[in-house]
Amino acid sequence: MALTTLWDVAYFLASGLLYVVSRIIPPLSGVLSNGDLVWGLSALVFGAILLAASMINTIMLIWFERKMLGRFMDRRGAMHVGYAGLLQNFADGLKLFRKNTFKPRDADGLGFYAGPTAYMVTSLLMFGVLPVSTGWSDGSLPLSMLLALVIFSFAPLFIFISAWSSNNKYSLIGGMRSAAQMIAYEVPILLAVVAVVVISGSFDLNTIVSEQRNYWYWGPLFLAMIVFATGMLAEMERIPFDLPEAEAELVEGWNTEYGGMLFAYFMLADYVRALAGSILVVLLFLGGWTLPAYFPAALTSLPLAGIVVLMVKTYLVFGVFVWIRAALPRVRTDQLLRIGWMRMIPLSLASIVFAVFFVLVKCIPVLGCVPSMGG
Amino acid sequence: MVAEVEQKGRSKPENADGLILKPLYTAARQFAKSLIRPSTIIYPFERLEDPKFREEVAIESGRPIGVGQVWDNYRGVHALNVNTCISCNLCAFSCPDLCIDMVTVPGGDPKHPKKCPQIDYGKCSYCGFCSDACPEGCLSMTTRYELSTPKRAEMVYSPQKMFEIYQRKLPMNPIRLERPANEDSILLDVPLCIGCNACARDCPTECITMIDIPKANPKPGEKPAKRIWKEPVINDSDCVRCGTCISVCPKECLFWGTHT
Repeated sequence: MALTTLWDVAYFLASGLLYVVSRIIPPLSGVLSNGDLVWGLSALVFGAILLAASMINTIMLIWFERKMLGRFMDRRGAMHVGYAGLLQNFADGLKLFRKNTFKPRDADGLGFYAGPTAYMVTSLLMFGVLPVSTGWSDGSLPLSMLLALVIFSFAPLFIFISAWSSNNKYSLIGGMRSAAQMIAYEVPILLAVVAVVVISGSFDLNTIVSEQRNYWYWGPLFLAMIVFATGMLAEMERIPFDLPEAEAELVEGWNTEYGGMLFAYFMLADYVRALAGSILVVLLFLGGWTLPAYFPAALTSLPLAGIVVLMVKTYLVFGVFVWIRAALPRVRTDQLLRIGWMRMIPLSLASIVFAVFFVLVKCIPVLGCVPSMGG
Repeated sequence: MVAEVEQKGRSKPENADGLILKPLYTAARQFAKSLIRPSTIIYPFERLEDPKFREEVAIESGRPIGVGQVWDNYRGVHALNVNTCISCNLCAFSCPDLCIDMVTVPGGDPKHPKKCPQIDYGKCSYCGFCSDACPEGCLSMTTRYELSTPKRAEMVYSPQKMFEIYQRKLPMNPIRLERPANEDSILLDVPLCIGCNACARDCPTECITMIDIPKANPKPGEKPAKRIWKEPVINDSDCVRCGTCISVCPKECLFWGTHT
């Protein structure tokens, strides 16, 4: 059996595990050879691998941000736990895990505890949808990009639930700001994605990546990439748009009342969303796991080359986000709305017009042709 | 008028050049600069007084090593050479914080116990008066600054501990004030002196000698005293002006003054 996809690996592990168990306890071998059981166990193993990979990547992303932000501020960042501070975030997580979580007396228990959990879970759902490499997901979903964006837009609901149920005015204001901001920036994000869909002719992320084999979309759709990345910054609530967490006005924004592991859930889910957003930018505009043709084929046909290429690109995109965080001050609410409605939406509309023009012309000498249009 | 107010109240339109590109450029420049080496010194493993940093700073400032940098003039923990200490008490006298106690250390004879300063760094203000006052130059300040300790009692440094610091030959604070030459000397109120020898006994530099004098002018009809009267004579060039003799004189016949 060729272990080309993650599903194959999970199926191999699950069937091997069941085989070993049936050898140890022979009477169970009849039950354990059931095909449904193997399928279900391999689904569990698939999920576990996915969860572990995404969480480790998220924690490495936090490390990456801390180190890079340190260099922007002329310091070194985490240094002493592990090599170059690689284990610092695990230590921080352990510390948060050991802390007690307090619920305010008048808080609504269900919303207070369910909000962070649902936020975390829906953020992690993203990684089931995003194709990380050709060998990652078994079948391709025809509407995977729309599904990814839908999962991405679950967040304001749960943020607002947890903010409202913690019964604190700062939390409530932060939650309202967060919900308003996220919903407002959905519009330019979706319009920018329309340009990608027009030019690639598909809602499937696998197809969108394979359509970028002649040229990456950040060339023809530069405006759309700018709009999409800015919208992603607002969706992730990172620094130029971190109004919901404005420390000077609202204590800590919508997670004021959270401590211990619940706070860790929020922080981790924020970075899960940052990782997913960066992967989305790479998939839609930077060619996903593909490399330009002038790279040797031997390099790109290595076993995990696709995943490595995509992760390198993702970390570079996230590095740009950290750069923006280090450089720019927080915007005001009116500036946020003006940027969203008066700059981003016209820019995304212009990029749609440009994408339509590009499809009609079919070929542009410098960049190449549109594959889906028979180029 | 209304239009003007509105014009003032509105914020200026965003200028992409000044508000976005310029900060991004500044941050990128900073990033590139600190990628090679950030300004942060990894403190417990690197120190600003390490030779490589001293040379670097000296090259940058154009001044030779050991001149004009903060850590060269830094007044830190004292180093005490117990062997040359003469127990003159001047450091404890000059201390404005009263943080110096003279404690007995082994090495003196039973009549003259050797006393050396013990410094409480919880009170010390690092003014350096004590090392300025020290006539023998045995108490000086090093540039050592790491004092933190979990116990308050450990802030009190015994003479032995400061002697260990001295033996480590740490860089010394080069500042030492010269003592003024025309200082007051110790004068004797001759008629009050009973010749008790206390001043000569306690003088740390042994610059006081007792000389025999005949009792001057015995009253008529009185027998001349059998006892030989003695009187201290102070060698001004050896005297370190510690004032120990003044403090031990039972008749208060020694005092500060100038020779006329």
